[in-house]
Amino acid sequence: MNKNEFFLELKSVLEAEDVELKENTVLRDLEQYDSLAILGIIAFIDEKFNKRLSAENFGKVTSVQSLMTLIGEERFEENG
Amino acid sequence: MGVRLSAIEYFLPKGTITNQDLEKEFTDWNAKKIEDKTGIRIRHVAGDDETALDLAYEAATMVFKNILREKVDFLLLCTQSPDYFLPTSACILQNKLGLRTDIGAIDFNQGCSGFIYGLAVAKGLIQSGVARHVLLITAETYTKMIHPKDKGNRTIFGDGAAAVILEASEEDYLSEFVLGTDGRGFNNLFVPNGAFRNKYNPVAVETSDENGSIRTENHLYMNGPEIFNFTISAVPQVLAKILEKNKTDLNHIDYVIFHQANKFMIEYLRKKIGIPPEKFYSNMLETGNTVSSTIPIALKDCLNRGILKKGDKVLLVGFGVGYSWGGTILKL
Repeated sequence: MNKNEFFLELKSVLEAEDVELKENTVLRDLEQYDSLAILGIIAFIDEKFNKRLSAENFGKVTSVQSLMTLIGEERFEENG
Repeated sequence: MGVRLSAIEYFLPKGTITNQDLEKEFTDWNAKKIEDKTGIRIRHVAGDDETALDLAYEAATMVFKNILREKVDFLLLCTQSPDYFLPTSACILQNKLGLRTDIGAIDFNQGCSGFIYGLAVAKGLIQSGVARHVLLITAETYTKMIHPKDKGNRTIFGDGAAAVILEASEEDYLSEFVLGTDGRGFNNLFVPNGAFRNKYNPVAVETSDENGSIRTENHLYMNGPEIFNFTISAVPQVLAKILEKNKTDLNHIDYVIFHQANKFMIEYLRKKIGIPPEKFYSNMLETGNTVSSTIPIALKDCLNRGILKKGDKVLLVGFGVGYSWGGTILKL
């Protein structure tokens, strides 16, 4: 998955269609980022990356970039 | 000797909390969003003077419309909300229900997997000749353990009880069981204070999590992300093992009922495992997550609505607090 695709999918998971997501977007500042949204992100990362993030790791998530770092930078292709 | 389920009923307390009620209390919560994501519109709440034992009594009384209470020779009560530290609620219930005194009666403390564990124990009791008619009851009042300002848990959980009769039969209607336990996850869903490890603290400090849910160590705590991670790992494996152990596959299963934790979680599990939607039950709209009673409530609703009929094979999986999990195939 490239980064643009990731941003689009994450927007859909968060139901934050009006928000422009970029690496430096602070997820915690989004009104959509609540306990239900976190379950959505866990499901999304399990489905697309076959990876499970612990609650402890989730506690460290601030920006979109920090989430991508947890998933693993190598899992993202450059934007095509 | 086999075992069959010959009666099933459930009881919900009269008190309710609607999504509109929650929206009024928690201004950043949206009633429609709650229903869309969790699949819950109403949860029932036991009154201040109404305990799990009372709910159990009501559910059992309904069962006795279909079977003579004199036949019951073992009472199994699954609850994590006992009336007293001692004696066991099942003993009090034996008397309240007017059951015979020459029978066994025990509580067992289990949560979301509790109905499955009850079926497994009942099967053991019947097949070993200890009992012929087991009254299995699940009864829970988690709402009493939740902090009033705990937005997340108040949204998910509701109170309720279910009662079933398992009886000896020539044909076996309960398949092989798969059970599992992993106590490493104990503190991801627990009530820290109030028993003997940590006593109830009358001046416990209120803390707020990042979603604005407030609680103290005297109240129920659930680490939602970790519980979800656990279910993603455990449930697909349990289901595969149940099918393997019983030498069958999903094509030969008429219907699948998981513990109704919340709609989002079980829908994700359904998709991940690849269970067709028409074979999968997801309905906690007017109950919420009633812990050990979700599976029997779902079974009864499916029978009432004609979704299930006699002879159908239903794969059941319970999972949660403990961590504890289990599953089996029930032929109706």
